[in-house]
Amino acid sequence: MPFAGIDIGSTMTKVVIVDRKETILASVIGPTGVEHRHLALKVMDEAIGQCGLTFEALDFIVATGYGRINVPFADKQITEITCHARGIRAIFPTVRIIIDIGGQDSKGIKLDTGGKVANFVMNDKCAAGTGRFLEVIAETLGVKLADMGKISLAAREYVKISNTCTVFAEHEVTSRLAEGATIPEIVAGLHESIAGRVVNMVRHLGIEKDVVVTGGGAKNIGLVKAMEGKIGFPVLVPPEPFLTGALGAALLGKGFFDRGMIRDHERRLESVTFFK
Amino acid sequence: MEAKEQVKTTAVKGTDMARKVRGLVKNIYKSAHEAKAEGKKVAYFMVASQYDEIIRAMDVVPLPTENYAGLCAAKRDMDRFLLKAEADGYSQVLCSYARIGLGFDSLRKELGGIPEGAPDGGMPVPDMMLGSSAVCDPRFKWYQAAGRYLQVPTYSIDVVAPPVYADLNAVRDYYIKYQKEQMQGLISFLEAQTGRKMDKERLWETIRLSDKAWQLWYEIDRLRVAIPSPMPTQDHFSIMVAGHYYSGTQVAVDFYQGLYDEVKYKAENSIGVIPDEKYRILYGGGLPPWHTLWIFNYFESFGAVFVIENVYRGYDPVEVPSHVKDPVEYLAWRAYLRFTQRHEKARANSGNPIVERLLGMIKDYKIDGVVFHACRSCRATTVGQVHLKNLLGQYTDIPMMQLVSDMVDLRDYSEAQWKAQIGAFIEALAGRSA
Repeated sequence: MPFAGIDIGSTMTKVVIVDRKETILASVIGPTGVEHRHLALKVMDEAIGQCGLTFEALDFIVATGYGRINVPFADKQITEITCHARGIRAIFPTVRIIIDIGGQDSKGIKLDTGGKVANFVMNDKCAAGTGRFLEVIAETLGVKLADMGKISLAAREYVKISNTCTVFAEHEVTSRLAEGATIPEIVAGLHESIAGRVVNMVRHLGIEKDVVVTGGGAKNIGLVKAMEGKIGFPVLVPPEPFLTGALGAALLGKGFFDRGMIRDHERRLESVTFFK
Repeated sequence: MEAKEQVKTTAVKGTDMARKVRGLVKNIYKSAHEAKAEGKKVAYFMVASQYDEIIRAMDVVPLPTENYAGLCAAKRDMDRFLLKAEADGYSQVLCSYARIGLGFDSLRKELGGIPEGAPDGGMPVPDMMLGSSAVCDPRFKWYQAAGRYLQVPTYSIDVVAPPVYADLNAVRDYYIKYQKEQMQGLISFLEAQTGRKMDKERLWETIRLSDKAWQLWYEIDRLRVAIPSPMPTQDHFSIMVAGHYYSGTQVAVDFYQGLYDEVKYKAENSIGVIPDEKYRILYGGGLPPWHTLWIFNYFESFGAVFVIENVYRGYDPVEVPSHVKDPVEYLAWRAYLRFTQRHEKARANSGNPIVERLLGMIKDYKIDGVVFHACRSCRATTVGQVHLKNLLGQYTDIPMMQLVSDMVDLRDYSEAQWKAQIGAFIEALAGRSA
């Protein structure tokens, strides 16, 4: 009895398949494009192949992430807030605060003692405080996004980046370079800027242990360190931060199935295009 | 190339009376134009300024500029006015009600008449502008700024309320004396503008009508404790027109009597806003998103009904001591009692009168969750909202959410983000009831 969760984020699409004992059978991460439905098919197909299953064998599929409504073969759509909460709690049962730094948004989620979502906050419609902010600046600096964490650790001090607007921050970075700041100092400054913005937002919820940082931002060691500095104590990071939403979706799917919810429509693993 | 026509922005109403409000709104602007044609005095005015009865008693026709801004937003015809004000140098962080008003005044002056196709025929040039300090500071300064476009006299009154920890016994008489002086100053101004003396009997009559209307409105809101909800928050945002823009008239009394009868019938017969009410939501504060009122129906599609709200009716009826025989003194007393009615309770509990009001609503209306609306350009209702939410969270564990946009400026609104937040909020509510 396998259950699948598919998380379509702004930059990455993730699939996790679990069995009845909640053991992960397969997990795949692929890039998200404009055509969500097509990529959803591709990533799901790869995950099914990874664990040697057929699509028909999947008992329940839950889609999450901002592209969740574009998954034609999902049995249910659930927001990433609920899915992250479920996925993270499976890995860290003591979690009370989740900070998800995604490609286009960042969120804070507070869980009650029973593990249910008690409150949440999201960044407003601005790229500052998200992965997209780092992506834009990485391009300006000519460094790889994946290397930014390590690069920042080489800095002994950081350059303050005061602009919260991504476009203006890009100008500011160029100015700082011209003034002689090093790339590690600038990258460390960017991490400080994002961490300050995100942690300040999450403070609305009241920060308490344990804090888990997830999403693509959690893969950036420099950003995680900067956040720990703002929070004042160490945070936990899942083994694969990209997958916690999809894992939660799969586990929630299992929960629905256990409670007798069955899929109410015929589904096929198909590619559906938006564009005629 | 023309812009694609905007889809529906308004909400489906729950009551028949709320559907009649559109006529009341149209009549506000029609009456102002007619009054101008007849040579009567027309005044720009603002809600909740505690001076409504005075204006009515002086037979000055009120023209509510804030309402006009909301109307423009509901019609999605606000950009030309906002952009005009911004082009004239007003910052985008200034009150968007004021920006629409100033932009409208500026355009009307530039064009030499009402801008073409302005909602409900637009606002005529007033004979005077009556500002106030009640609620927020832009309301005191707005009309002074409008003097740039309008060569008409302005009078702004100060409306005062003591802080929650003031010794009310010690300060009360000073506050009332000051408030009365402010109101008398306004009366003198109006007498000079109209050339006639204030008729105190007429003022008592408008006060009686106003108190009667607000008493009925209060009783309607008490009926709304019924499950399922007989009248939703989106209706409140319509029906408040009678209480705020027709205060001191028989129109308001008749309207609320009709609404009372309808809501009572619905409550007694368990006729809800939607067939399957799952969650009862409190609109915790912030001005309404006039540009997107259909969002309340979006909540309803998940079984979530906004059953009560903390905006545009901030106080319950009060009893002014019987020894008060002067109508102006009565108005000063009433304002003082309205503003201090939860001070004592707040001192004994949370320290915050608004939190006390919200806690009372959560209990009385059996609320499952609270939604706040942070309006970027409204400091009065937005600054401190997170603190208020957190303070409230110390006394209740029901889910709360803050949506961010603006009351009229669509540039501050993101539909995708709101829907994402609403989805998560509904899941949090469902998780609690599971």
